Amino acid sequence: MSVLRPLDKQPGLNTATILLVGTEDALLQQLADAMLKEDCASELKIHLARSLPLPSDVNRPRIDLIMFVVNLHSKYSLQNVEESLRHVDATFFLGKVGFLAMGAGQESHCSIHRNTVTKLANTYRSPLFFCDLEREGFRATVAQRLVRMLQICAGHVPGVSALNLLSLLRSSENPAPEDL
Amino acid sequence: MERRPGEQAAGEPADCGAGGGEGGDDEPPQGAGAQAARPEARLTLLLRLRAQTKQQLLEYKSMVDANEEKTPEQLIQDKHIEAKIEDLEKEVEEVKTAFEMKKLALDSVLMDNMKHVLKLNKLIMKSHQESWDLEEKLLDVRKKRLELKQSSENKLLEIQTEKNKQKDDLANMENSNKIKAMQRNLKMEIQITTVIQNVFQNLILGSKANWAEDPTLKEIVLQLEKNLATI
Repeated sequence: MSVLRPLDKQPGLNTATILLVGTEDALLQQLADAMLKEDCASELKIHLARSLPLPSDVNRPRIDLIMFVVNLHSKYSLQNVEESLRHVDATFFLGKVGFLAMGAGQESHCSIHRNTVTKLANTYRSPLFFCDLEREGFRATVAQRLVRMLQICAGHVPGVSALNLLSLLRSSENPAPEDL
Repeated sequence: MERRPGEQAAGEPADCGAGGGEGGDDEPPQGAGAQAARPEARLTLLLRLRAQTKQQLLEYKSMVDANEEKTPEQLIQDKHIEAKIEDLEKEVEEVKTAFEMKKLALDSVLMDNMKHVLKLNKLIMKSHQESWDLEEKLLDVRKKRLELKQSSENKLLEIQTEKNKQKDDLANMENSNKIKAMQRNLKMEIQITTVIQNVFQNLILGSKANWAEDPTLKEIVLQLEKNLATI
């Protein structure tokens, strides 16, 4: 069970689970707390992981959304994320995966260029969010967005599916690649 | 070698925002209000769960359908693959155009609403303008009234001063020199006449005639008694 598949288990009733993958443990914890504070009608379960693959011996619920958190200040986090991406099934990328880049505010400390992360997100056809997770206000905003995304990916919002959301999230900056 | 800092399942008590009142078996009933609210809340929960389950069923169904399609590599050769690809692309294009049409239709409705809103805004602005003009007119009328009041006040003041002047003039007249001179002359005449009166009186008395018996003499004497100063 080294590859994560999206719909391999039955969903928990009124439960939505998100998996946050990233090397910045403290910040992920804070983001998780911010998400839990959000007002949401369904139960939220947040899993934090440094990297994939996850240990297969644990009984865990079906994962609805995976967010890969990349810290633009450290190349190690990007490598980590790229490594972990291999353990995710291709069907996950139909709207149930997102990338979150943090630390874009301090240009001087950025060792990874923004374009690298943008290209990565484009390769995997997944939405990319930028956020400064150290500021409380921004963290709360991103937490709100993630909660809404999670609700849609878990199927709690009637009429909108993860794939719908994906096509809606394509802005003019990263249009659907026409090179099919 | 990844670390999972524990499942955040402990978030359940914190996060059930709307789920707080639902299925509150561990909460003591808070009175009749809560009792009435709980069946309703349970109903809402059930409806929501129903919607969720429907959506999730739809997702699973679509996945199953997608997986049922046999992968091209196993069955068909190159030419057919290209034909299939073209067909799929055509389908995608058709769906795209249908979507665009729907968007246009919605946009036209939106445009109608916006035009309506614009019309209403124009009406509002016109009414504002009219009320503004009326207020200006009112202000002008009020100003004029104030001016008239002030001018009437001035006129009355003038009348009063005129009257006062007349009174003063009159008073002054009395103090003028002419009158004084006339009064002096009058006094002089009175004195002279009084002297003449006394002289005639003494003449008649001095003549030792009995003036009481003669009526004409009596009349003359009495007439001379008149004190001219008191007339």
